[in-house]
Amino acid sequence: MSVAFPYTIGVKLQSDPDVIPAMRKFISEALQVSGFSAKFAFRTEIIVDAVCNNAIIYGNESNADSEVEVSCKVHEDRVEVVVKDRGGSVENIERLKEAVNCSKPEGPLADDSEPAGMGLEIVKLLSETIELDVDENNLTSIRVVRKREDTA
Amino acid sequence: METQIQLTCEDVPGKADARIVRFIGDLDATNVDFTTEKIFGYFDEGLVKIIADFKQLRYVNSTGLGVLLHFNKSAKEKAGCFKIVNLNENVYEIIEIIGATSLLDIYDELDEAVAALV
Amino acid sequence: MNNNALVMEISSDEVSSEVAVLKITGFLDFSGIAMLSGFFGKITAENKNYLIVDLAGVEMICSAALGEFMGYRKKLADKGGNLVFAGLAGAIRSKLTLLGANKIFSFYHDVRGAINAYKWDYKKQSKSITVSFPPFLKLVPPVRQLVSRLARQNGYSTKDAFRIETIVDEVCNNAVEHGLGDPGSEIVLRLSIDKEKVELNVTNQSDPEKISTLRELIKPAVQSDHVGDDDKRGRGLALIRMLSNNMDVKITERGTSVHVVKLREEQQ
Repeated sequence: MSVAFPYTIGVKLQSDPDVIPAMRKFISEALQVSGFSAKFAFRTEIIVDAVCNNAIIYGNESNADSEVEVSCKVHEDRVEVVVKDRGGSVENIERLKEAVNCSKPEGPLADDSEPAGMGLEIVKLLSETIELDVDENNLTSIRVVRKREDTA
Repeated sequence: METQIQLTCEDVPGKADARIVRFIGDLDATNVDFTTEKIFGYFDEGLVKIIADFKQLRYVNSTGLGVLLHFNKSAKEKAGCFKIVNLNENVYEIIEIIGATSLLDIYDELDEAVAALV
Repeated sequence: MNNNALVMEISSDEVSSEVAVLKITGFLDFSGIAMLSGFFGKITAENKNYLIVDLAGVEMICSAALGEFMGYRKKLADKGGNLVFAGLAGAIRSKLTLLGANKIFSFYHDVRGAINAYKWDYKKQSKSITVSFPPFLKLVPPVRQLVSRLARQNGYSTKDAFRIETIVDEVCNNAVEHGLGDPGSEIVLRLSIDKEKVELNVTNQSDPEKISTLRELIKPAVQSDHVGDDDKRGRGLALIRMLSNNMDVKITERGTSVHVVKLREEQQ
């Protein structure tokens, strides 16, 4: 039996960065068995990695007792990734708003020093849209949409 | 904890200050410290010319790319080099998207990188 | 005050009564040893056996200070505790590694990472992850590989991880085959893993009209260690039962729930 679109896979994980590699590979493999190309899956894996690292390290301040919720809605022609965290400090939320709302980078992201904050910039370059929602309790949700560009 | 990356090392005949380091697995935020420790360990031993063989490197993220740029810069500061060979297509494209292809010393084949060692 | 002046402070209230965090900034050279010993004395007096030394703000450490840390680590280890380093980066990390400190001390990226490791190693706290997915057979291999990777990553042997993967495969295949086939329904797998065991809980919605059939189906596997050659059904559950240390199946009108406990067999 094949998969039927759209479908959703959800993952709730504790804020431990060590869990991310296994989780992002799970999403990448789920996309490949659903007929998406290895390239599409790889790029989505980069997105999931960057957004989850951000959620765990800044949003939940690496507190293992706080959870991050990842939902991946898989359509025939696109994938929507939503990552929710507890928001973290006011400074973090402001930094996140700035990172999400600024326009897509046009020039190279890298210089020859160690780059900081490159994660969300890559997400922008690899996705169609990125949106941030912060509720009254500072619970933060990032939604990223990536369209299918090729067939497997 | 099992790390997602393994680094194996081998000599370059006739080049006492060079090593080929094979990256196997994924280079990401969970193992950049381990990787940095290894590479800087080589630098500290005077092995400042590193050829990083990425044939079995499946994945690299922005944090991983950050340390690669850092290795490149640090090696040059020590009059050495950090050359990358055998990049897979996916990893190459991410480096390209970030705009780092011109900042890193990338070769198609191991032989080319060895021949380019000064 | 000069920018490189040595500052030390202890914080301990946020973690546990057994853990102290000693934050050090500045130059830790020979002249700072007495201050360091004083803080170790305070920590001993407070009966804290697990010390996280936050070195993120340290610009230099002399080898005598490292010796002091080694001595105190030994004292804590004798009492069943430990001394670990957090926030090590750049030149300081390279220097400590060069001196062989990484073979004696555990290094963590930040204090939070060290606290998480303390909870895992000393408090035997479990880590958990919950995965939900629709009942598509094709999604089972990615799910079982996720669990296998998490087991290996948390120190389980390849053999243990393989057995756990087999259990997940069998439970999830059953959930897909015998659960509600509606693509809108979901299978929920909750994994809880600690140093000694893995616990799995897999639930799925079932067709209320098939409850009695399902109960009949699982009987041979739940009641006996052996499934006869002619029993085409229930072999998956029998396998889970043989590979695990405890298995419990509940079938209700709301759905089926399988709970499996698998103890860690091999230490790496």
